[in-house]
Amino acid sequence: MAGSALKRLMAEYKQLTLNPPEGIIAGPIDEENFFQWEALITGPEDTCFEGGVFPAQLTFPHDYPLSPPKMKFNCEMFHPNIYPDGRVCISILHAPGDDPMGYESSAERWSPVQSVEKILLSVVSMLAEPNDESAANVDAAKVWREDRDGFNKLAEKLVRKSLGLPQ
Amino acid sequence: MPMMFLDRMPLPRMKTYTMLSLMLLASAVFHAHQVTVQVLEEPESVFDSDRKNASNVTDSVEFQPSNTTDSVITFLGVMVDDPWCIWTLINMAYCCLILLGKGIQRLVFGDLRVSEQQHIKDKFWNFVFYKFIFVFGVMNVQYMNEMVLWCAWFSVLGFLHILVQLGKDRFEYLSFSPSTPRWTHIRMLSLLASILLTSLALLTLCTLVGLHAGLNTFAFMAAECVLLTVRTLYVIVRYSIHLWDFNKKGVWENRGSYMYYTELVFELAALSVDFCHHLHMLLWGNIFLSMASLVICMQLRYLFHEMQRRVKKHKNYLRVVHHMEANYPMASYDVIDSNIDDCAICWDKMEAARVLPCNHMFHNSCLRSWLEQDTSCPTCRTSLSDSRSSSSSQAEELTETVPDTPEATTPNRQQRNHFFHFDGSRYMPWLPSFSVEVTHTQLLGAEPQLQQSIQTSQLDSMARQVQSMFPHMPINVIMDDLRVTRSVEITIENILDERLLPAPSAQLSRTGSQPSETLSTQVSTSSSTDDSMIFYAGGDIADGAFLDNDEVLHSSLPDTNSAENVLESFGSRFSKCPTEREVILQKRKESLVQQARKKYMAKRHRQSNSGSECCQQGELQSTGSSSSSNQHMGEGDCESRRRNTLEQRRSAMYLAARQRLESQNGLS
Repeated sequence: MAGSALKRLMAEYKQLTLNPPEGIIAGPIDEENFFQWEALITGPEDTCFEGGVFPAQLTFPHDYPLSPPKMKFNCEMFHPNIYPDGRVCISILHAPGDDPMGYESSAERWSPVQSVEKILLSVVSMLAEPNDESAANVDAAKVWREDRDGFNKLAEKLVRKSLGLPQ
Repeated sequence: MPMMFLDRMPLPRMKTYTMLSLMLLASAVFHAHQVTVQVLEEPESVFDSDRKNASNVTDSVEFQPSNTTDSVITFLGVMVDDPWCIWTLINMAYCCLILLGKGIQRLVFGDLRVSEQQHIKDKFWNFVFYKFIFVFGVMNVQYMNEMVLWCAWFSVLGFLHILVQLGKDRFEYLSFSPSTPRWTHIRMLSLLASILLTSLALLTLCTLVGLHAGLNTFAFMAAECVLLTVRTLYVIVRYSIHLWDFNKKGVWENRGSYMYYTELVFELAALSVDFCHHLHMLLWGNIFLSMASLVICMQLRYLFHEMQRRVKKHKNYLRVVHHMEANYPMASYDVIDSNIDDCAICWDKMEAARVLPCNHMFHNSCLRSWLEQDTSCPTCRTSLSDSRSSSSSQAEELTETVPDTPEATTPNRQQRNHFFHFDGSRYMPWLPSFSVEVTHTQLLGAEPQLQQSIQTSQLDSMARQVQSMFPHMPINVIMDDLRVTRSVEITIENILDERLLPAPSAQLSRTGSQPSETLSTQVSTSSSTDDSMIFYAGGDIADGAFLDNDEVLHSSLPDTNSAENVLESFGSRFSKCPTEREVILQKRKESLVQQARKKYMAKRHRQSNSGSECCQQGELQSTGSSSSSNQHMGEGDCESRRRNTLEQRRSAMYLAARQRLESQNGLS
């Protein structure tokens, strides 16, 4: 199984290298293991995460693209749809069978026609538009809903941190 | 608990152990030599010595003075008879085995990864445990020499088992990487082949022993041997399939079935051999109420469940295959020829394909492996299950909606987009409403664009969708544009790009340049999937799609930043050499961060409205220093050096950033 997954990942890597979406870089951490990627995601403009460069780790299953990869931010994040440990919770990363939140329609979930690029673009739009209905980080969802300025300040801090700038 | 204890037990280092073993052996040899000399000088004195073995009598009887071969025989006799010497010899044999293992590991595998070490450890203790049960619980060995023989047999087999396990793990790891040197593969395969030969040789040995000792002994000995052979063969076959597939250009249509059947056959073979072996042990043991039989029963239960699971999986597989063959015909050659898209699952070229009822095409094997776990079209999510359950009424509605749109049913390649809107709340209040849009990216400029009239109801709903986002646009302008683009996505893009103005005259002049613009934007969103699907479900997802477009929009804007250009120059190349790829990726990442940092600082400057003259200076300096280390990185092949330069660049960047911030603070 790993053979076809490898071929597909190679094709995706090639495409992401030759034709990268704005502000997104993704590739294997180590050429010896094509199933562990690191992605850098730039916070979308005109949002509170604007300008930040957030590293995330993508772990692909052996039967990719039949099963979705797992995505985890390697930096500190404060966002309603990101678990405190960095795991990303969006519907595109959930297999059609499992539904942790219990109300996603299967149409939004993982299918083999999705790709790393689509995942990363979804994550970018998730950064811009948090979905506080299915909160992975309840605290973040609360701050986002009730204290937008406070959320923006926290996000600003994260942006500075992600750029390696002093607070 | 005993495992924990053993883990913590301070095992002597390999070198010390080897030295000790050698010393022991030397002293044993010396002892044996002395005894031999003694025996040669005065045969009668054998009886005076501390050993009382009967075989020595025969030694002394056969003894003929001053003959080297005889002295050797006597010497060996002493070595074998003296219990102390025997233990030394056994110890030495194990030492040699471990050394051999270490040597093979050095030669073939190099350093072991953590998971491999863990697997070996598990496998080793598991093996020791079960063989202990076998020797003492089942065989109930009474005599020392018998036990020693069984131990020797299982030691060799266990050793080979561990090697095969290691080979399997390493193969799986190697199959993750596209750039394994050929030499590694050759070494791995030759190791596996020699294990296979050894196991076959052991099998012959089993037969020879079996002729002597009876069928039961043969079966017990052979079971483990056959198991080893099957496992080794399995790894070898999988390895060769993988290598063959990877070095082959293009698609190997039957690869999936070959893989599947090798897996099935070998797994079932291994399981059934193991099962028979355990059953045999249970029956032969004859004592049904003992710890050993309990353990064997548990193992039998586990094996049975494994077999059941495997058979179930196979039934599912067969069902899927039958379902596919019955319902989804293979695409005819001209359809495939006219279809320039790749298979959306594996991104490989389409040479043979199956067509789903929704007209999406996939490779036979890709589709099969997907249908094994799901029953919907990967592209459009149309439910494909033949037995429609009442719970999936929503999906049912969808499948009924699909044939309603004439474009979706006819396999006509001229059509560009499908759009269908499903308003669930019309039927049931709790049903969601969503619209599905299929954008074909067959952007062949040479092809004449056939103007197909879209059903007005579809156009209406599309226009309403667009207008909900842009209330200021008149509906007729949107409709006009939709008639041309036939895609909500592209129309939105046109509006965002201000190519679509509220005045209809501007719109007319724009339509001429439409196709090329569509090309440029479409390629960046979904350049290699055949159909890009956009689902608008509820309000917030539509917003998400809107944002995606926004992203694309930004990427098409001309950028004056020089770092951006650097980035693009890296981006335009996909190197064949893995190390170079790594370096390029690293550079791109660095420049992205750098660029983001610059942008961020620039924004800050603009906000604080302070004189940015000196800050600019600092920025320039920092870029200069980082670009000089950039060059260093390109030259340095050695990993540590690359890391060093990375560290340097990082610290330089932090330093520069800190300086900038300080100056900024001072100014404001």
